[in-house]
Amino acid sequence: MTAGGRDDILARIRAALGNRHRSEAALSDLEQRISAPPTGPLPRLTDDALGQFISKAEANLFTLERIASLQMLVPAVRSLLSETSCQPDISVAPALEHLGWPSEWAINFGAARKTEPLSVTMAVAGLAETGSVILRSGPSSPTTLNFLPDLHVVVLRTHDIVPHVEDAWARFRSSEEDWPRTVNIIAGPSRTADVGGVIVRPAHGPKSVHLVLCES
Amino acid sequence: MQAEGKNFSSRASKALADAGLQQQVSKLKTGFVAARARAVAALPEYEAMREAGAAIKDHTLENLDFYLERFEREVVKRGGHVHWAADADDACRIVREICARAGARSVTKGKSMVSEEIGLNAALEADGLEVVETDAGEYIVQLAKEAPSHIVMPTVHKTTEDIADLFFEHHGRHGFSERVTDAAALIAQVRSVMREKYFSADVGITGANFLVAETGSNIIVTNEGNGDLTCTLARVHIVTAGIEKVVPTLNDAALFLRLLARSALGIETTSYTTLSTGPRRRGDVDGPEEYHVVLVDNGRTKMLSGAFRPMLRCIRCGACMNHCPVYLAVGGHAYASVYPGPMGAVLTPMITSHEAAGELPHACTLNGRCQQVCPVKIPLPDLLRRLRHDQWEAGFIKGKSRWGLGIWSWLATRPSLYRLVTRFGAGVLGVLGRSRGGFRRLPLAGGWTAGRNLPAPQGTTFHAAWAKGKKRL
Repeated sequence: MTAGGRDDILARIRAALGNRHRSEAALSDLEQRISAPPTGPLPRLTDDALGQFISKAEANLFTLERIASLQMLVPAVRSLLSETSCQPDISVAPALEHLGWPSEWAINFGAARKTEPLSVTMAVAGLAETGSVILRSGPSSPTTLNFLPDLHVVVLRTHDIVPHVEDAWARFRSSEEDWPRTVNIIAGPSRTADVGGVIVRPAHGPKSVHLVLCES
Repeated sequence: MQAEGKNFSSRASKALADAGLQQQVSKLKTGFVAARARAVAALPEYEAMREAGAAIKDHTLENLDFYLERFEREVVKRGGHVHWAADADDACRIVREICARAGARSVTKGKSMVSEEIGLNAALEADGLEVVETDAGEYIVQLAKEAPSHIVMPTVHKTTEDIADLFFEHHGRHGFSERVTDAAALIAQVRSVMREKYFSADVGITGANFLVAETGSNIIVTNEGNGDLTCTLARVHIVTAGIEKVVPTLNDAALFLRLLARSALGIETTSYTTLSTGPRRRGDVDGPEEYHVVLVDNGRTKMLSGAFRPMLRCIRCGACMNHCPVYLAVGGHAYASVYPGPMGAVLTPMITSHEAAGELPHACTLNGRCQQVCPVKIPLPDLLRRLRHDQWEAGFIKGKSRWGLGIWSWLATRPSLYRLVTRFGAGVLGVLGRSRGGFRRLPLAGGWTAGRNLPAPQGTTFHAAWAKGKKRL
């Protein structure tokens, strides 16, 4: 890091802006704009956030399933494994470790592996505007689980569905935890159109994303 | 940044005669333009968002020092490092030093136009590093030893057959010995090659669509998931970003994400939007051990001081090129600059020099579509006009063009004389051409008549017709 580079660039910026003195009042306005961020014009949504989320998520090519409580997650994964003829050699986010997984399954509660047939993770929010889910990184929620598996299973509590991403940011800001290292907003399986303009799924990430909406 | 705007005309002529290229670029004309129009029409708030977007960018630029210092403070608070690069060489030096300190041998890269601008790949390869572009499109142009021809869709100039040949030539060593021509099979090869690279890379370099001062985050958007894997799996994550990428808060970023997806691809959102903030935290089982952001000036502070400041609002969506009749006629490579199309014609001279940018500010019909579709309302035609003027003043316009423009400018600033001369010219040409309706050849108008006939004037000038029409009202 060259301090000269930093100071020179900041000096050039200030000169370009006319070397004005920023008054205390102006500075406090700027601070205020960061600590209480204004919201721009938002896309208007219907009153039915859940309904809108579901239809947008389906348009994003997520597959969807609804369960009554988290206790139903293991049976849901069991049927997914049998439907896809997938061996029970999977990765599960440590956040979901307590759910009583079958002891005969080979389960990696940790970061994803290079070859990863299926992973199960927990979203912290869903966005009605775009049908996206948001995942926060942390010791119990490794980021690689969102990108390396062929089939990514994401659990989302319906009460975590908010209208816009600004609502999710507001929740994050009011949380006790510091801003996370990684935030992933995911709106469908990985895709590309770089060969001949034809859409191909998957590119580098999951072939499919299965959303499990949990009512409780 | 390399730019050879000087020979735009000859490259443009070649591009116009290239049937394969013409077929490829024509896809942009229909697909992306229609998709964008649909996405915009489906959002009644779009125009208000554009207004707000331009205003937020102006506010941020007006306080750029404040927001960059805040961004830096937040990055450092969360264990990351911020580096400031005055120009391209400086930026490459900083990245090379980080790689050297990390004992790196291999580098994976997510798509970053700034890294193209500073010539980063060549600089790293000169140090003996293996550099792999992970975005399928960027990987294809890297294998072909070409430059991207579009800032969002780097391979828009390449046919599936071109790509099949390329992979057949290069993928044997990865165990793919058959020549395949199916898009899905070709992408499956990229997926398999990259999966290995992500895990073996020491350093992962990405760009930033936005930097957020509030949290010290960088945001990338991808559909492939490549940038996301690049920055998660390498030991060291380096972000290269122009200083104008900073926005005040997450809410501001949210607004720009809505504008960007619609303007770039005609969609509401990309598959992945990833915010990275510092290195691995205590207890994390994945993520990079080091996080660096290289803030690149490279001509941007020069733009900030004057008439070109609005160009710094640019969010690199590519809508201006998708709607530019010149870009759509000749493709991106004719510009021979990292940034093609209208935004490139403005940026190139600011980042390099008027001399290097050559004819680029003239590769424009001033039809104004770029400004109409720009999500942050950059007055691109005005900026291009100003660049032409600056080039003239600096004496870069020479020979016949200078001579002709000189006469025209002398005449155009003398309205009575201008009217007299044009009335005379229109009259003479009208009489000469009336019998055939047009001219197949005309002295001084060879550039026009080489491709089509020049219609004969219908006896009067535009000025006179306008005046007459006005009287009638």
